[in-house]
Amino acid sequence: MAAPAEQLKQAMPYTTRYPELGTGPLDVRPLIDPELFELERERIFKQAWLYVARAEELAEPGDYKLRRLDVANTSVIIVRDRNGEVHAFHNICTHRGNKLIPEQEAQSLGHTATHTLTCRFHAWTFNTDGTLRGVARQESFAGLDKSCLGLNRIHCAEWEGFIFINLAEQPRQSLVEYLDGVADHYAGYPYNEATLRFRYSTVLNCNWKVSLYAFSEGYHVPTIHQGTFPSLATLEHTEFRCFGPHSTSGLYVPPVPGLEPTPVTANLGGRLRASNRHRPHLELLPENINPDNRQDFQFEFSVFFPNSVIHLCAGNGYPGMAIFHHQFWPIAVDKTLWEGTNYFRPPETVSERIAIAHTNALHRNAWLEDTSTMEQTYQALSSGVLDEMVLMDEELMIRNTHKHWHDYMGI
Amino acid sequence: MALLPEQFSQLESLAETWALPTELQRSERRWAAGPDDYRRFYEAMLPALDQVLDYLDRYEPGNIPEPALPLYRLALAFAEAAPHNELYDCSNTVPNSFDARRFVAAHGEITDR
Repeated sequence: MAAPAEQLKQAMPYTTRYPELGTGPLDVRPLIDPELFELERERIFKQAWLYVARAEELAEPGDYKLRRLDVANTSVIIVRDRNGEVHAFHNICTHRGNKLIPEQEAQSLGHTATHTLTCRFHAWTFNTDGTLRGVARQESFAGLDKSCLGLNRIHCAEWEGFIFINLAEQPRQSLVEYLDGVADHYAGYPYNEATLRFRYSTVLNCNWKVSLYAFSEGYHVPTIHQGTFPSLATLEHTEFRCFGPHSTSGLYVPPVPGLEPTPVTANLGGRLRASNRHRPHLELLPENINPDNRQDFQFEFSVFFPNSVIHLCAGNGYPGMAIFHHQFWPIAVDKTLWEGTNYFRPPETVSERIAIAHTNALHRNAWLEDTSTMEQTYQALSSGVLDEMVLMDEELMIRNTHKHWHDYMGI
Repeated sequence: MALLPEQFSQLESLAETWALPTELQRSERRWAAGPDDYRRFYEAMLPALDQVLDYLDRYEPGNIPEPALPLYRLALAFAEAAPHNELYDCSNTVPNSFDARRFVAAHGEITDR
């Protein structure tokens, strides 16, 4: 039975601002249906812009990143050419289809000093702008036109140092159009300064959206994180905004009465808070983030459709943390590569480096708490017992993702 | 030969098992540690923490000389292990968590020794 409008508005002040999202339960089938997963490959992951690299990972000409994309049965080379331009190519030699760069991990970094990439099979050599440079025993190919045999190009664009690709032959929108209002919302922070990265990954036996949705709300924090972050028990999750398929929100944590930081965290976290480089830098936040300049700002928290969740902390909240993000890479309907990355400004002193290790370890431990539910949730959902899931107001970002998932899928 | 500078001789026996060079090795040490291991580590390191960090701050990150590396690694191990004392009741796992052995530190080894 539908609640009266006034009651709805009171219970769900954020959700009711977006009438197109509705207030009812969401269908569970998209999280468990193998046939829908096959459609997702084409309708979502070959249509949407996908975040694949930070510009600092490709700092110098000749730097490249290899990124496996199981969902599209491909792997992608993102490379900075000798003129500094970034390109993306399918990792496939145009001769007989060998992987141009042998692939061992889901993602890896490399460098070519000669600005060329050579296939290990027959030594075909490509320039980092994708053109075919050299073919061994070219005279034995009849009428080979090298200009038609460059690497297969993928659309690639950069925003605030975040490098995205789009697997469509012709993307429906430019990257900036695609990012909608979230592009401006996040613009201007010096992301490029946070070059110390800690990335964790695991393959979760669950649908990618089970994992994405779990990381898209703060409602779970007081229960799931009472072990590692009892200090987050008072969190306020607020300032929700939807920008097309993307959504954002602010997370604040007033002090928990009577809870003092533990001795090691007080010491090491305190060192980062006292350092000009690592301290909270509220003044660096883009203007619509933490608009009231609250000192208890923890992070801005956004879903970048389809598979990235990006948090901007600017040294607030977790000591020294500049940004962190999650990515959810589908492998099968019931298998997802999760990657979580913490970013810090590089330490100036050894003690800062050790303090960063402490913040990083606590946050990694919190992720172990987060990931503990996901396989269990998926197993339970795949029983088919629940057809629908009900959401509270602050689970709004899930609701927005789910709605746009339906729009992309056309179902 | 001692692993640590003389003024930290009280930490020497801890360095023998905790001062490991990689995050994975230090994690494996944490997973194998019992409550008494955690207690001994914490009770010895916490009072010395400021002196250890002051000592290490004579060097620059990424440029720590070989003889000081065991102390650096011991401090890193402590930074990573202390939550087990302060939050997890000296358990070697995070309570109610995913299997930490399935979590890969995919950044590899941060090379700023």
